[in-house]
Amino acid sequence: MSDSTVDLPEAASRRLDRPAFSSGLSVPDFAACLQMGLEPVGFVQGFCVMQWRWYGMNSPYRQSFGPSAGGLTGYVENYQCPHVGVYGGEHRSWGQNYEQTWVEQAWGQGFANAYARMLAEAADAGAHGVVGVIDTANRLADLGVLEFHVRGTAVKVAGGDPPPDGQPWTTYLAGQRLAKLIESGSMPVSVAAAVSSVRVWAYCVTEYLLNGSTSTWGGRPAVSEVTQVASARMAARQIAREHVRAQLGGDSLHGAQMIVSESEVGEGDQEVQCLLRGNRVRRFKEFDPIPAPRPTVRLR
Amino acid sequence: MTEGSEQLPEATAHRLQELEQGLFTSDLSVNEFLLIKEVGFHPLGFVMGSSIYHTGIQTRKWSQSQELTKLTEAMYNARELAMTRMEEEAAELGADGVVGVRLDVNYYEWGKDAAEFIAVGTAVKAENGVSHLNALGKPFTSDLSGQDFWTLMQTGYVPQGLVMGTCVYHIAHRGLGQTLGSAGKNVELPNFTQALYEARELAMTRMQDEADRLNASGIVGVRLEEKSHQWGSHTIEFLSLGTAVTKTSDAVTLPTPTTVISLDN
Repeated sequence: MSDSTVDLPEAASRRLDRPAFSSGLSVPDFAACLQMGLEPVGFVQGFCVMQWRWYGMNSPYRQSFGPSAGGLTGYVENYQCPHVGVYGGEHRSWGQNYEQTWVEQAWGQGFANAYARMLAEAADAGAHGVVGVIDTANRLADLGVLEFHVRGTAVKVAGGDPPPDGQPWTTYLAGQRLAKLIESGSMPVSVAAAVSSVRVWAYCVTEYLLNGSTSTWGGRPAVSEVTQVASARMAARQIAREHVRAQLGGDSLHGAQMIVSESEVGEGDQEVQCLLRGNRVRRFKEFDPIPAPRPTVRLR
Repeated sequence: MTEGSEQLPEATAHRLQELEQGLFTSDLSVNEFLLIKEVGFHPLGFVMGSSIYHTGIQTRKWSQSQELTKLTEAMYNARELAMTRMEEEAAELGADGVVGVRLDVNYYEWGKDAAEFIAVGTAVKAENGVSHLNALGKPFTSDLSGQDFWTLMQTGYVPQGLVMGTCVYHIAHRGLGQTLGSAGKNVELPNFTQALYEARELAMTRMQDEADRLNASGIVGVRLEEKSHQWGSHTIEFLSLGTAVTKTSDAVTLPTPTTVISLDN
């Protein structure tokens, strides 16, 4: 991370210097925080705008392309055409799944910068932690850029000490869910998030199953697994888990959310992305079972 | 808007008169109504204010990110006018405040570059006769639902006013040189980061200025909205909204929540 992380805009410090607090929490979450002894200090946020384009075969990232492609790190899987004696430019005689480590790193950098700036705002405001964190990454106008925005509500623990390393703890949770977490004996450490990106370059069998293109082999089978895509999705999930596990440092992940999305880059060329986010938590006391829940029925 | 309530349309006067005679209108749900009654308020009537404002376009530099101050002012003043008119309707009813305020912007075919800003809510009055007017001597306003209003009152905070800040910003287009300069890899574009960061912080600072004028001790439910309205994708309005609150008592009277399991799906 560069030194730009402490470079808050002037308006931010002016805003946080005010005596009035601001809170991005909903009123029930706000009330629950007060009850837990967490006092909202300020709405804090961080941004990072990254250039965001997809790089195809001509990208400097890709030194070569093909079944024996070099220059790739991470997950690679090759697919060879099973058809004997079929040639020609139209027939995809090989295919490949490969991990786009550069996309994962760029996402990681954008998120980390925005996150660090939010933490800097929180530390500036003298916060002990940040609750109700929300992160988004959106495309802006037609600029070919992706804007990372991480925000949350900075809080102080009433009568508590500031974090020993000056680094506020963070969590996606707020209100009742945070209260339940702490009641059950775990405390929040930080949010954890990572993206994995797997590019699928279809070979003839996949192309055939996806597009149903007419071929000499007759009609498409009614039901059949698209092995190459299934494998890419499995790999994407696995890689995202590994990335997040690497951030946990032995702590556990709570309330994880996994979002797998697919986007078509070109014909027979797609990207599978997996976003995994959750709360890194640490146990501070033995599990303390909560009182037996009371069943309720709503009057509507 | 200083001219006062004589500017309200005639139909308003008639409607408000009927409300004063005891009939009340409200857009509260039944649950909201009950909770508002529970904290000692009575709905007086549905109130609104609107303003049709010309929000044309301001000259922008193609390659420069900058705030469009005229548009910022226009967007701010238009909402402020709508809010003030709504507050006047509420004051006319002798209300202490307005809950469930919604701010909307509508565009019509007949008015190019014109937008209608509208504020609606339900005026309420304390049943025990204690005044809840805010530091400026006006009815408080808040976008809180009935449920949120109830919960907030339990925490010892009372709403002072719906506060907002806005900033209309033009995002630079990227020249060929810049595109080539960073071609080939995904990197941070610090100029853009700074510009957009600044734009949102400006909106939030202005919101906080409003809260300061109300002597508020804080703002709850802060949110940031982004809209391009009809200006094209490179001009964005950053709008920050929240409810300014003041602490009236230290006691948090909320009972310890009980864990429940809903038997509904």
